[in-house]
Amino acid sequence: MVNLLYCEFLKLKRSKMFFISILGAMVAPVMVFAGLIKAKITEPDKIITYSDMLEQTNLYVLLLFGVIVYGVIAAYLFSREYTENTLKSVLTIPISKEAFLTAKFLMLFVWMMILTAVAWVSTFLLSIVGNAAQFSVAVIMQSIKEYFLGAFLLYFTMSPFVFITLWLKNLVTPIIATATVVLGNVALANEDLGVLFPWTSSYLIASGDIEKYKYSTEIAIIIIFVVFFIGIFTSFVYFKKQDIK
Amino acid sequence: MSEYVIKTTNLTKQFGEQTGVDCVNIHVPKGKIYGLLGRNGAGKTTTMRMLLNLATSTSGEILLFGENYQKNPKETYRRIGSMIETPGFYENLTGSENLQIFARLRGQHKKDSVQNALEIVGLDKETKKTFSNYSLGMKQRLGIAAAIMHEPELLILDEPINGLDPVGIQEVRKYLEMLCIEKGVTILISSHILNEIEQLADIIGVMHKGRLIEEVAMQDLHQRNRQYVEFVVSDENKACLLLEQKFGLTDYSVHENGSIRLYTNLEMRSKLNQCFVEKGISVSKINISEEKLEDYFSNLIGGGEIG
Repeated sequence: MVNLLYCEFLKLKRSKMFFISILGAMVAPVMVFAGLIKAKITEPDKIITYSDMLEQTNLYVLLLFGVIVYGVIAAYLFSREYTENTLKSVLTIPISKEAFLTAKFLMLFVWMMILTAVAWVSTFLLSIVGNAAQFSVAVIMQSIKEYFLGAFLLYFTMSPFVFITLWLKNLVTPIIATATVVLGNVALANEDLGVLFPWTSSYLIASGDIEKYKYSTEIAIIIIFVVFFIGIFTSFVYFKKQDIK
Repeated sequence: MSEYVIKTTNLTKQFGEQTGVDCVNIHVPKGKIYGLLGRNGAGKTTTMRMLLNLATSTSGEILLFGENYQKNPKETYRRIGSMIETPGFYENLTGSENLQIFARLRGQHKKDSVQNALEIVGLDKETKKTFSNYSLGMKQRLGIAAAIMHEPELLILDEPINGLDPVGIQEVRKYLEMLCIEKGVTILISSHILNEIEQLADIIGVMHKGRLIEEVAMQDLHQRNRQYVEFVVSDENKACLLLEQKFGLTDYSVHENGSIRLYTNLEMRSKLNQCFVEKGISVSKINISEEKLEDYFSNLIGGGEIG
């Protein structure tokens, strides 16, 4: 498994997708930084804190741009093996289909965590550049916890996109699916139903906002894991049964 | 262990209502080159995919190295090198980097196996070029390198010479022959280019519409089908002695009623006739067989050409 995971990293050498994803992870921090600059110009007296910067970025990442970026990465990791015709070379080594999929899911996890770190570091650095106020270790620690908890939970909601990729073997459909999910996030972010929508509840749990709503955190977590297991199960069963062309 | 490295029994693959491979019984002996011939869509690639566990069979049995292929797939497939149609590699990596990945995934390999494989296929100088910038021929060569780099006991190659130039085809052919003769590697190779298979294979299997309609040793087939000149002579023993001692010709067969079939040096027939007559052997008939291997296969699969 270590070899498989290591090879997943090797496959990314010179890969444009890796750099695009890094840029993608920096979009939300840059947007929030742009907001900070605008506020400094239009409302010079307004105090923008580290906490504001980090929270806003996490909101944009977990509810909006991150879902698309992570969904695209998930789709890319799996679809490239079809588009580049590499499955027949890898599986005849032989590598079991189960080990192959597991390595891909692990790689997705690692990649998401790297991008989360990029988003957090970018936000932090831009906060310093933008002269944000009220720096404290507690804020930093809390934000790190929220970023990684949010990304961790969001990771479990990516498996349906993996199944869609395995099923339709392209990048476009998962992108449409993630865009649809983002619209759902926008519609449900301030609603009780948001707790029942796993892509929204990941953020609500991480940020602690879930306490404002009538459904419990446990229900949200159960739904996230049900979605994860459905995605995992369908992906493994489909991939196992599927003939490789 | 079974005498066959690959043996299938009633191997069948159905795609819904359609039968892609229909009760195929292939027998590939150890250390031989088995050529699988057939037109496009005959079922060659599907058969190879099933042998490589890339596609599941609807019914039938596959024995690899004498064992059911699903009994110990990890160990079985380690002993096999393969290339199915156009080889697939990671576009953003060089040939060497691609092979490094496969070597690492395979686990057991010699340190210089990647470099050796690249040298064999003539890609060792292409250190900077990524796979996306390879020509079709280079891609095909890299596919062959990936198939041979772990020194497999069995090679399964689907149309390996597609896209290669004539020199490349000759090089690959020589290398495969060397592998088979010197290292005892068993090779299953498919092609729709009859000439290539004819020069390479010890045994051929002809597939048509999903069925294996012929499986025959090349030697037998040559004897049965290839072009020859037939002399009907008064004294076949004396004529044979002349063929061997005076002309060094040994590729002939003797048949009833003084018939001698000569399979090589057909252009020498008038000279041979003259010699026979000079030595007192009367020649009542000289006849050139017109049937070529190509004609034989065309007849076998119901007209048209292979491929």
